[in-house]
Formats: sequence, structure tokens, C-alpha cells
Amino acid sequence: MADKAKTVPPPRLEMRGIGKSFGGVAVLSDVELTVAPGEVLALLGSNGAGKSTLVKILTGVYTRDAGTVQVDGETSVFPNPRAAVTAGVRLLPQEISVMGDMTVAENISLADLPVRRGPGFAMVDDRTMREQSRALLDQLGFSSIDPDALVKRLSVAEQRIVEIARALAGQARVLVMDEPTAALTEQEAEMIFRIIRRLKEQQVAVIYISHYLNEVFEISDRIAVLRDGQNAGTFDTASASRGEVLAAMLGRVAGDLYDIKGSGETGDEVLTVSGLTVPGKLDGVDFSVRGGEIVGVFGLIGSGIETLGRAIYGALGPATSGTIHVTGSAYRPESAGKGKARGIGFVAADRKHEGIIGDLTVRENMVVPFQHRYVHGLFVSQSAETEQAKRWIDLLGIRTRGPEQVMRTLSGGNQQKVCVSRWLVDSVKLLILEEPTRGVDVGARREIYLELRALADRGLAVLVVSSDVEEVAGIGDRSIVLDRGQVVGRFDKGTPPATLMAATANDPAFNAA
Amino acid sequence: MSTANSTPAAAGSTRGPFLTFLGRPSSGVVMLFAFYILLLLVFSLLSPFFMTVRNMMAIGSNIAFIGLMAAAGTPLIIAGGLDLSVAAIAGLVGVVIAVLHGDYGMNIWLAAVVAIGLGALVGAVNGLFTTRLRLNPLIVTLGMMSIVSGAALILTGGLTKPLMVQGFNWIGQGRIFDIPFPPILMLVVFIALSIVLRRTRFGRFVYAVGGNPEASRLIGLPVERVQMALYILSGISGAVAGLVLAAMLGAAAPAAAAPHLLTVIAAIILGGTSLYGGRGSVWGTLLAVLILGTLNNGLTLNDVSSFWQDVTKGVVLMLAVSLDQIRTRALGE
Repeated sequence: MADKAKTVPPPRLEMRGIGKSFGGVAVLSDVELTVAPGEVLALLGSNGAGKSTLVKILTGVYTRDAGTVQVDGETSVFPNPRAAVTAGVRLLPQEISVMGDMTVAENISLADLPVRRGPGFAMVDDRTMREQSRALLDQLGFSSIDPDALVKRLSVAEQRIVEIARALAGQARVLVMDEPTAALTEQEAEMIFRIIRRLKEQQVAVIYISHYLNEVFEISDRIAVLRDGQNAGTFDTASASRGEVLAAMLGRVAGDLYDIKGSGETGDEVLTVSGLTVPGKLDGVDFSVRGGEIVGVFGLIGSGIETLGRAIYGALGPATSGTIHVTGSAYRPESAGKGKARGIGFVAADRKHEGIIGDLTVRENMVVPFQHRYVHGLFVSQSAETEQAKRWIDLLGIRTRGPEQVMRTLSGGNQQKVCVSRWLVDSVKLLILEEPTRGVDVGARREIYLELRALADRGLAVLVVSSDVEEVAGIGDRSIVLDRGQVVGRFDKGTPPATLMAATANDPAFNAA
Repeated sequence: MSTANSTPAAAGSTRGPFLTFLGRPSSGVVMLFAFYILLLLVFSLLSPFFMTVRNMMAIGSNIAFIGLMAAAGTPLIIAGGLDLSVAAIAGLVGVVIAVLHGDYGMNIWLAAVVAIGLGALVGAVNGLFTTRLRLNPLIVTLGMMSIVSGAALILTGGLTKPLMVQGFNWIGQGRIFDIPFPPILMLVVFIALSIVLRRTRFGRFVYAVGGNPEASRLIGLPVERVQMALYILSGISGAVAGLVLAAMLGAAAPAAAAPHLLTVIAAIILGGTSLYGGRGSVWGTLLAVLILGTLNNGLTLNDVSSFWQDVTKGVVLMLAVSLDQIRTRALGE
């Protein structure tokens, strides 16, 4: 120990040669990451780059296949999250996870409740718990939060702060923050930054994950970029340019994947949206889609892309305002059934929970939205269903043992194709897809893009809503960028993904700061 | 289009033959059938009276009203619902017929129609609370069970009312080709429901709605209407079961049907219908009803006390539910 004190202090966290694969597919290979005490390291990477896997290895959720992790120079193995927490590695997850019906103090101390021991019993020491929580909140600069308040009565930002205090309870050495500002307003985000600056003073190492480049440049000391499960560059924030960081993140445009020739012919406007507003989600969105055209909408999580497609389709009910025209006549979203009747098809982002019906067969999954088409007299004609299912399996190149295979046993890409095939009936003129290739391997992704283009060439209007910037830039004949519920950019085909990404980062509040 | 990239087929089966068998959708019914045959064999060896036409018909009559309720309960649970009030409705219906006919002199058949309408109404109320207000069906129908049982006791002051009307009692005691009418009626209902579930649009919606309610809503299926219809159907089935029971007993006993609720639910689950919805068949339920009825009958013939019969029924149910859980896992996450 005395020896080490003379030399430079070891980094707070040092990860070397980290490797991890799932089912033979390498998700991380030879990844390095170091953070010094009091340093803020921004971790960047597009979807699927391996950020979340790396964080899960660091916090004990996954075990690594290769590599070493050292915390303050001590080699560490975290077989479970509890071990990581004990070693001082704490995670602030993207989704807020607090117990609303418990008090602030209880939430903060939950993992390590102070107890008073008597003969043969132990009781929670409420006073100590309250004092510890109070001290932590003071340390963060939020003495205004009452330790006895019920957490559900706090604002979202205050809940975030309680969560941070919980993460810091005990001896926190490394704090991983995953998109900590995603659900917050700009002023609230500024509070988080204040906290991070205090943590720097206290020599905590912070790993900051965010898609907002402006935030990253404001708060971080260094930037580490992951791409395809490997290190793609480390930058000193002070001397780095946005361009080089984006280039490291996105690589060159993956030309092959999106190199698809369409007929280029477009027809009449199938969908016209003006002033579409959903309170708190979308704010006056205007755009249109013609038959034969693929329009892509890109936005980060929380930008309104989660809402746009389903609002138009009708799945949100009548909670929308603004005007929508479908094939020339006014349409008011009311329910999914009404949207379907008006010729709109919808493929939801969350395939498992909102798309497939896992216990049913491929055939049943395909025909169920328009089941009435297969009814002859009183009964459903299974032979008519099978005939149609086989046609769709051929058309979309779905890899299945046949129409009777149980849906849940298909791969993600093939499940997605089934979800698309459902809507390939004459009456559907507009197909809305959310995150069409999420959880789909690269080979099947290209096939889905080919299919979407083929459908557009047959006159369908296609609207793709996605948080994958390369996807939107790659397949959209035109693309739109959403940010905080508003359209912040409109681009033509061939615009580089970095330009789309940069459009979302144009956040006046951060620019002013 | 290019098919150069070949995705690996779904995960290869590296599990043992037993799990592979369990993973097949039909495995449940096959196992139930084997178990039923085994029961028949064991009881024929144990008692000379068991395998007689007379005894088989007795079993048929005894299980009919339970089977009627379980038949309608099956699609309801497949669609993600649950009805705990069905047996209480059966009790109320007998009483209502006895009161309308006996105390107010209403025509017996008109009284029967009114009583069945009442069953449908109770089912509709269950449906409204669960689909519109999105309350948990367990709570709603538990409350309804209490209300309906209480109402039946209030109507008769807790007493059993005689209900002996020529013609009407035939429903419970009559025979066609020497076969008791109640099991025939039950079988007809099972066949009808099987056709509806397998061959009609409504049947497809039942499985889709239970298999994934959110996906069903997003592809524009009438999720709430399907569930509503099934609650009404369950209410009607409770009413018809009550009518059969009263006709069979020649009396309306307000609390006669209620203890059989557990048997109804047990039969549906034992029959392979998943409590999580989306999976199940009425034929599995029918086999389970037969098994539970046979178990009851065979144990009675062998002088096993009814207390031990309860224990046996519980053991069989828990085994079946455990198997269902293993099956769910074998089918893959």
C-alpha cells in the first residue's frame, strides 16, 4: 500500500479486454474502459453498440467471458448485482425505479437499513435512517426534499434525485448514469448536472450514458465511443469536435445494408397530417406520405416517436388533436379498429408484448386481423387461411417449417415479417411501422428493408418511425426528425445519419448554456 | 429476392424426450386420456360394481351440471377471464324458478326463461366491471359470488323449496334411448363449444385475445366485446346448470351448487387450460370433468370417506397445475 501511494493513484475503474457473447454471437470484444477518480466519462454508441452489455457486466447483471475489472486497483469479480453494489459500483437505471408508497428515507436506505438490535430482535432505526438520508440529500444540495415525504408525491426530477441519493448511500466509488435526463425538462437536467459536479469534487468516477451530444460536451471530461462491440475511439472532451465523435459512433454509412433500388414512382398523398398534437408527447406535427414512398421519422427516446405512429393509427384513442387525411378524406383517430377500417396497418415496436400472439400458429397470427375474409358461411375455412399464409410466407421469404409452426418459436426477424404480412390486403393503403428492425439480426434486416421497398413499389405508403438514425437515413425517401414532440428537421434521401443526429441535438436551451 | 443469408433455425431441442413431449400442444389431452383409462382400470379391479352400465350412467348424471359450467368457463379462461360466481348463479336460478312458479304461479317454462335471463344479466354485470372498469376478475366475480349466494338464501329464508313439476323434472331425470338427459345435454354443449372455438371467427378471437390482449387490441380486434360475450355465456351456463340440478333433485336448494365451484375451476385447469390465457381446449376440460367425477364415484364405491376425497381432488389439482407450469416452460419463454 505504501508503495502505491508514491506513484500515480490507480484509476477508480479499469476494465480491460472485456469480451461477451450470447449464443455464439460476440456482443463485446476486447473492450477497454478506464475512469479516474472525479472524472466524468461519457459512454457513447448507437443502438446495439454494446453499451448496455458493458454496463451490465460492470454492475454484476452479466458475467464476462473474458477480461479483467479493477476497482481502485483491486481485481473484482461481480457474480451478482449485490456484489457490485458492495464494491461501490452503483447504477442509475434509465427507467426511474422508486417505491412510490414508501418515504424518501426508506427509498434511500432500502438496500442497507439501519437497525437497532435488542435481545433476539432487530427493528428499523427510523431516526438514524432519516438522519442518513438527510445528510445524503444535503450532500447533493437538495435539503428541500423532506425525508419523510412519500416518494409518489415528488416530481419526476425529485424522484431522480432520491434515486441518485440511494445509489450514493454507503461508499459509492463508481456511478453509472444511463440517460439520466431522458424524462426531464432542461431546468431539471441542469439540476442533475449540478449533482454531477458535486460528485466530481467527492472523487466519484461517473460514467455518463446519453444520446444528447450537447449534454455530453457540457458535462464530460472524456468521451469513449463503442461501435459493434468494440472501442471506436476515446476523446478528450475539451479538444474533441462533434464531427469526429459522430463519425466514430456511426462509422461510414453502412451502404450495403440500405443499397436498395426502388421504382421511384410516387402517387397521390395517402397520409396528410397537420398540427397533430398529443398533450405532453407531440406538439403540432406536420408531414405527409405519398403512395409508393417510404417516409422515415427519427427521434431519440422521449422525443415523441413512441407516440406518433400509434396516435395516427388510433391506438391512443381520441386523445389527439390536429387534422389527419387518409386517401384524401378527413380521418379522426378513435380506435385501432377504426384505423384498420380506414386502411391503416400498424406494426408495434414491442413485438413480444404488442405484436405476436406467441401460442398461436403462424397462419393464425397472419389472418387474425382480417379474419372475416376467411369465413365461408358460418365457419372459418382453414384451407383458405393456409393458402393465404403460404402465399405470404413465399412473398416475404419467411423461414418457417410451415403455416402451422407455433409463432413463438420463430426468430425475431421472421416474427417481424409475419407482423408485416398481416396487413398485406388490398384495403390497407398506409403501413405504419415502429422500430421495424429492433432485435432483428443484420441479414434479416436487409430482407425487411427490401420488403418494405417492394411494398412501396406496389403503391403502399410506408411510414417508418425509429430511434435508429442509420435506418431512417438509409431507407427513407424523405426523413423527418422529431425532438421534444416537434419536427426539428426535414431531409431528402441520401442525407448522412450524422446530419439527422445533429438535428436532434439542436436544443436551444443547451446551446444557450 | 436474395436468400443468401440463412438465419439459424429456432433453437435446437437439446432437452429430454419427456420435456419434448410436454412441449407439444396436444400432450396435455393425451396424458389426461391415459390417466382416465388408468382410473377406469384401477377402479374396475377394486370394485365389481364400478364398470357397469348403471354406474357409468350415474357418473354421467352426477357430472353433467358441473360439466355444463366448466364447458363455458373454459373459453372464458382462455380469453383471460375468470368467473367464480358461476356456481352461485346455479343456486340462485333454482330458487328463482321455485319462487316464481311456486309462490307466484308463473308458468314453469316462462320462469325457466326468466331465470336464464337472470344468469345472463349477472354475467353481463361481471363483464362490465372487468372489461370497462378493468377490475381484476378474481375480485369482481368473488364479490358477485357472495352477492348471488346471499340473494338465493334471502329469497327462501335459507330453506330448500320443492320443485316437482311434470315435464320440468324430465330435464334432470328423463332419458333418451335409456341414457340420462343431463349428460346428453352436456355433451351437446361441449360439441357446440368445440365447433365455435375451432371453426368460427369468434373462436379465433378468443385464443388471440387471451394469448396477447395488447397485440389483439392493436390489430383492431374487439377485445372487450369478446370477453363480455364470454362472461354472459358463463352466466347462462351457470343458469342452465342450476336448472338441470333443480330438475334432477326435484327441489331448489340455495346452497346446493356452490360447493362445486372448486370442482369446476379444477376441471378447467386440470384439462390443460392455462390460467394465463391463450391456451386450452374444451375436450381437455371434458376429460378432466370425467376424471374428477370418476375419482369421486370410484372412491365412494370403495368406502373412502368424502373427507379423503377432498384431499385426493386437491392433490390431483396441484399436480396438474405443476404440470401446466412445466409445460409452459417446455414450450419456451
